[in-house]
Amino acid sequence: MKRTSILLGACSLFAAVVALPADFKVIANSSVSSSSISADELKDVFLLTKNSFGGGHAEPVLEKGGATHEAFVKSYLGKTDTALQTYYRSLVFTGKASMPKTLAADTEVVAYVAKTKGAIGYVSASAATEGVKTLEVK
Amino acid sequence: MHTKTRLFTLITVLCAASAGLHAQDLSNYTTFQVDGRTVQIHGFVSQGFLGSNDNNYLTTKSSDGSFAFTDFGVNISTQITDKFRVGAQFYDRNLGNLGNWHPQLDWAMGDYKFADWFGVRAGKVKTVLGLFNDTQDMEFLHTWAILPQSMYPLDLRASTIAHTGGDVYGNIRLKKFGDLSYTGYAGLQSFDKYGGYVYGLVNDGLTLRGLAAKQYGVDLRWNNLLPGLLFGVSYLHAPTSSVTATIQVAPTVIFPFGIKDQQNTAAYYGEYKFRNLTLDGEYRRQILTGTENVGPLPAILFGEDGRGGYASAAYRVSKRLELGTYHSRFYPLWPASQGAANHMFDTVATAKIDLVGRWDLKIEGHFMDGYGTYYSFRGFYPQDNPAGLKPRTNLLVIRTGWNF
Repeated sequence: MKRTSILLGACSLFAAVVALPADFKVIANSSVSSSSISADELKDVFLLTKNSFGGGHAEPVLEKGGATHEAFVKSYLGKTDTALQTYYRSLVFTGKASMPKTLAADTEVVAYVAKTKGAIGYVSASAATEGVKTLEVK
Repeated sequence: MHTKTRLFTLITVLCAASAGLHAQDLSNYTTFQVDGRTVQIHGFVSQGFLGSNDNNYLTTKSSDGSFAFTDFGVNISTQITDKFRVGAQFYDRNLGNLGNWHPQLDWAMGDYKFADWFGVRAGKVKTVLGLFNDTQDMEFLHTWAILPQSMYPLDLRASTIAHTGGDVYGNIRLKKFGDLSYTGYAGLQSFDKYGGYVYGLVNDGLTLRGLAAKQYGVDLRWNNLLPGLLFGVSYLHAPTSSVTATIQVAPTVIFPFGIKDQQNTAAYYGEYKFRNLTLDGEYRRQILTGTENVGPLPAILFGEDGRGGYASAAYRVSKRLELGTYHSRFYPLWPASQGAANHMFDTVATAKIDLVGRWDLKIEGHFMDGYGTYYSFRGFYPQDNPAGLKPRTNLLVIRTGWNF
């Protein structure tokens, strides 16, 4: 009985951990030729060390706070939102990068990604993503 | 107005202003389109208070309590093409007798990124040296109100802050072994006629006319060999620095004074972030060799071996509060480092409070031992302490800043 409880507990914990990425999906402009992106590439694009992907320029698009944003930043960038903003500002104020586009809601992110060549963003798993492609994260 | 009243008023006004500004999304006003291109404007401002027990610090009257610790900067940038970006930043400060509100071009450059692993920046470019050289002016990026002065002296910031020339840079992913960032640069060193070097020489009767120094350097940093771990090395070489000045040797006799030296600086650093904990450590060694010429007198050979470093720990207790401590040591003339006149040690405790929006408030205690040599030009100057320097200094720093 005790062993079963431990096993169930471990499974629940595992499910909780692996469920995080499923809370959102990564979307891209139709100009992005690839249908998948590696976790490392995704991290590099959002940390602004990689500005090309899928045969062209890559532009990250972020959400302004919220559960989807927190989950994405924690899962793929390994940072808190506070640490990410500090990181971006260290680049902006030394001239090494511009602040990436940040939008308030899923609908705004989808609309911007749909019209912007090379744009890559993330939205909640339940968001309608008409006009953009969904990238599989490997 | 009494110092305590002014301090209370300042904090109250800043807190109230921060709450008001938080209610607005400034990005609507600071990001706009010009001719189809997105232009961004960003800025920052900070105000500090310094209060010390005996010695006056950083050219302020800190022993009486001083608010002469203000700086601000503003930048503008735009992406011209997918690979080409331009931008510039102005910076201004008033720190005691330094800066004196004279604005400086902090950086201004074009940046062309050929590939993720290779890009070029040209113009006036911030110099990468150690963990924080290029971000040392932006208090909001750091836990500390004043960064460790063994590595990032506020009064000597111009000597390493930027170069006019160019960088090559890039990032190379090493798969399971993290990634490697590199920067190589060459150019002319910055010179600040309102900085601590000029101010310190005045006390020696020297009037600085100019400083010309080419510098070359490289920085390599290995990120995420383990999650959250960074370590790196920087090297800066200035083959020929030339200081030209004049010195009054008698009421009507002024001699030319010149220094020609060579500088070699090496820095080794590491950072580890685990959950809410950040650990940093740096070590730097600067070797100067050269000659001094005073009028017709024979040249005097000199050599200096300066060493410094610090270890720090910061812990984010909550969303709004971060606590930290560091211990910094600087030896201007290694190994002759015994006594207050040959070393500067600083033990620091800080509380950083993130107020609403992008406002922060830091309260920091410094417990300093020693004041360095007569030529250190790091915080303690004879002309600010005419009664002589005491071996120990306790300093309270309160600093608040905002950025957009």
